Amino acid sequence: MWPDICLVLVLAIPIVVAVVLAVFRRVFVRAAGAIAAGAAVLSLCAAIVLMPELSAGRSPAVALGVRPMPGVDLSLRLDWVSLPFLLTEIVVTLLAVVYGWGYHRPRANTPLFYALLLVFGAGMSGTTIADDTVLFYTFWELMLVASVALILVWGDEPPGGPRRQAVAFKYAIFTHLGSLMVLVALLILHDAAGHDSFSVLRQGVTLSPGLTTTLITLFLLGFGVKMAVFPLHIWLPDAHTVAPMPVTIMLAAAMLSMGIYGILRFPMSMFPIESLAPFSAPMMVVGVISEIYGALMALAERDVKRIIAYSSVSQMGYILFGLGTLNADGIVGGTLHVIYHAIVKALLFAVVGIIIHTTRRRRLEQLGGLGRLLPVTAACAAVGILAISGVPLLCVFVSEWMIFAGGFHTGRVALSIASLFGSLLTVAYALWFGSQVFLGIQREEVEMLRAPRAMVVPTVVLAVLAIAAGLFPGPVIGWVSKELSILLGGIG
Amino acid sequence: MTSGDVWVLAPMALLLGGALAVYLVGRFITSRNTVLACATALFFAATLASVGVLAQRVALAGQTNTALPVWGCLGEGGACLRAARGGLYMVGMSAGMGIYVSIYSGRYLALDRRYRTYYPLLLLMVAGLVGMVMTTDLFSLYLFCELMSVAAYVLVAFRRQTDTSIEAGYKYLVMGSAGTLTLLFGLSLVYWETGVLSLPNPISTPGLWARVGLACIIVGLAVKSAIVPAHTWLPDAYGRAPSSVSAMFSGSVIQSSFFVMVNASLGLGFPERTLGLILMACGVLNMTLGNVMALVQVHTKRMLAYSTIAQMGYALFSIGVGLRHGIPDAVRAGFFLILAHAAMKALAFMSKGICHFYCGTSLIEELKGTYQRLPVVAVSFTIALVGLAGVSPLAGFAGKWLILSELYRTADWVVYVGIAVFLLNTLVSLGYYLPAIAMLFTPAREEVPARIRVSGWMAVPVVGLTLLVLALGVAPGPWLRWSEGLLGFW
Repeated sequence: MWPDICLVLVLAIPIVVAVVLAVFRRVFVRAAGAIAAGAAVLSLCAAIVLMPELSAGRSPAVALGVRPMPGVDLSLRLDWVSLPFLLTEIVVTLLAVVYGWGYHRPRANTPLFYALLLVFGAGMSGTTIADDTVLFYTFWELMLVASVALILVWGDEPPGGPRRQAVAFKYAIFTHLGSLMVLVALLILHDAAGHDSFSVLRQGVTLSPGLTTTLITLFLLGFGVKMAVFPLHIWLPDAHTVAPMPVTIMLAAAMLSMGIYGILRFPMSMFPIESLAPFSAPMMVVGVISEIYGALMALAERDVKRIIAYSSVSQMGYILFGLGTLNADGIVGGTLHVIYHAIVKALLFAVVGIIIHTTRRRRLEQLGGLGRLLPVTAACAAVGILAISGVPLLCVFVSEWMIFAGGFHTGRVALSIASLFGSLLTVAYALWFGSQVFLGIQREEVEMLRAPRAMVVPTVVLAVLAIAAGLFPGPVIGWVSKELSILLGGIG
Repeated sequence: MTSGDVWVLAPMALLLGGALAVYLVGRFITSRNTVLACATALFFAATLASVGVLAQRVALAGQTNTALPVWGCLGEGGACLRAARGGLYMVGMSAGMGIYVSIYSGRYLALDRRYRTYYPLLLLMVAGLVGMVMTTDLFSLYLFCELMSVAAYVLVAFRRQTDTSIEAGYKYLVMGSAGTLTLLFGLSLVYWETGVLSLPNPISTPGLWARVGLACIIVGLAVKSAIVPAHTWLPDAYGRAPSSVSAMFSGSVIQSSFFVMVNASLGLGFPERTLGLILMACGVLNMTLGNVMALVQVHTKRMLAYSTIAQMGYALFSIGVGLRHGIPDAVRAGFFLILAHAAMKALAFMSKGICHFYCGTSLIEELKGTYQRLPVVAVSFTIALVGLAGVSPLAGFAGKWLILSELYRTADWVVYVGIAVFLLNTLVSLGYYLPAIAMLFTPAREEVPARIRVSGWMAVPVVGLTLLVLALGVAPGPWLRWSEGLLGFW
């Protein structure tokens, strides 16, 4: 009973608080940020309370008792596959809300901003804990709607850059294309199983081999759009550049990983792993191309926010490569990379946000020598840069190691070596970014603003997390491996 | 001699009597807008109630396997009304929309005045619709079709102080009359060859003239239901009529003509599979043309009108596939979408009407700052547009989900191509729904505009329709049961 209530609360708290903030927006203009953070903390607590339950081998599940159509039964469920994603989502939302206190000066519509952030977060947690296709798709779309609204109303327009409306529409239409592919696949699954509950789908759906291949293709393409792997990434750089900073953090650190969750949840757990075998090599190839392409674009960019945005394309390439190996090392590595990438990417965007806020400049040629002026931020940035380059004792090292190990296990040595050398480019753009911004001399005289504490504290927290996750990878690897033994029936 | 179940007459009698009563009240007692609006709403509500009673009788007839309730001159050469599921569905939809629209007009019509002609015209239009969908012979079908159309022509041109309204009404009149004339020609050919006018009357071995006649009937009604390429009157008509009229139209005029077109041609023995193919082709044309044209519109209402063409395309396609491949669920999904579309589009037109009423907006660009002036309207407009775009959990998504889930199982590559076009179209449609939504929430350029209090007469129907759109999406179950088994006379 108690775990079930907690499961509902994970979703209900942010949604209810968002509604309250939207309705009483006049009352809460100043307190909105704090209230939203409170809601995120409560939601996080509700998720943490569920962990002992999971460790004890039970999966909390709630049937909501809503049956809008025959064969549709809305229900929620938490298992080891969802847990890492759920925790990542909620933590990122919490940090983004706190970061918002510093980034966003309270105005009349501030409560709506925080309400939408909470709805965006709830859309993501709902996607991870939905246990039926209709609810899954509803939350999947909710997260799109909320993020488009955030970009549309609060996006910033860099001078000479794209207009925020155009960017929001491009983002909406392009990712909706992915959603439609997923929708078609979900409908076919729903029809074949006669019911939309995941538990029915997991028990096995009999489909002709041709249909199975079509379904897997649709799922991979649809979720690939959300993951923003090459060549489906074209919405990402603009959306990340224009979105307000807290939203960028949530987009990059949490929303991209929803695509990976989708791939783990549908093609990988609904079908026997053998039926994915033909997709293994293409996934790895696309992964390597994304990795290298993203890194090259990051090297070529001059706008600090776009550099980190392209870095996401590159990092998603690693993950797709890992998933494509179809062996335990690669998949565990890929899922770990989701968590670590979330930490590091949130950290780097937080740093970029502080840089833009204090200098009001965003191009490399206008920045430089900030190390002396922003020592704490520079230290955090150093952690992030080293982590994303895969330096041992920091978090990303562990997952990259496992991903490459998985690559070599498949016997596709050339691809694995290409991917390994591709990571050199990651080191290159990370160091280039760091040296251009923090070292040398300041290229343009600017009057520095003070960095608000609400922006610095989450940054420091993220840096500490990045170090801690690298020093003690044990527990996280433990959770993720449990997920996979359930998911793949104990391969490897 | 007339005989039969008098309840069958009730909707028609209520509407015709209502039209007369409202006119007389307006002429001799009071021509206050609110009084007439309330009276009209009451007549629509009574019609809806009588449809409820009839639906129960029809269900009872279905259970006991007896004939459907009829009223009129029975026997050879007689004309009568018959209650069947499909007809009642269309009547119920129009009467329900009529309640909302007449309450809404209680304030909105202050723009146009002439209350005592407006409300009777609304009632007459729906009375024509009732006759059209419930009649059992072709000639009455033509007569009632004309009744509905004439009322509709006048309503389109109701804002007679502007030239464009007159022009739109005139265009509609010319094209609509061409449609009804073609219909008349067609049914005279059918009568000439078979000597029978009653429906259903499956012609087993049609000769050349019966074939031509059938084709004329289909084409004539296709003009009335704005099927591409005979759609050109619709954007003008919807775009120039008062918003309350456009809202009323979105669930009644073209939908009932379309229903009659399918039902009558099936009743005359037109092969289901061929009709299905025609509808599929028209559906694809409708959705593509509607969406592409909507992209380039600058007037809000014209954009909404083209979106109606597109949405009808989705429904047409689904019903076409259902007929061609014998999938009743696909037909049901199509009719559900027609209902969902009526609710969403009426909501969109009403929201637009409120913006027009208070701020005089007509271009999409002028919707800027709506959120600051009329927050509730901005939200309801957004819900309507998001619903039309098919985002879950709103009405449009339930329609899209049902249609897709029924269509893909026909192992037919033509259908698969159609599904691909359908999906691409929903994507294209975001291209005009999203900018409109963005405009609603874009702050106005000049100083912050003051908030406007919306009159209760307009706020109540808008909130009610918003709830209806949500209900259709969240709990489509009961609505789906109603949209089952609508085609056919048995």
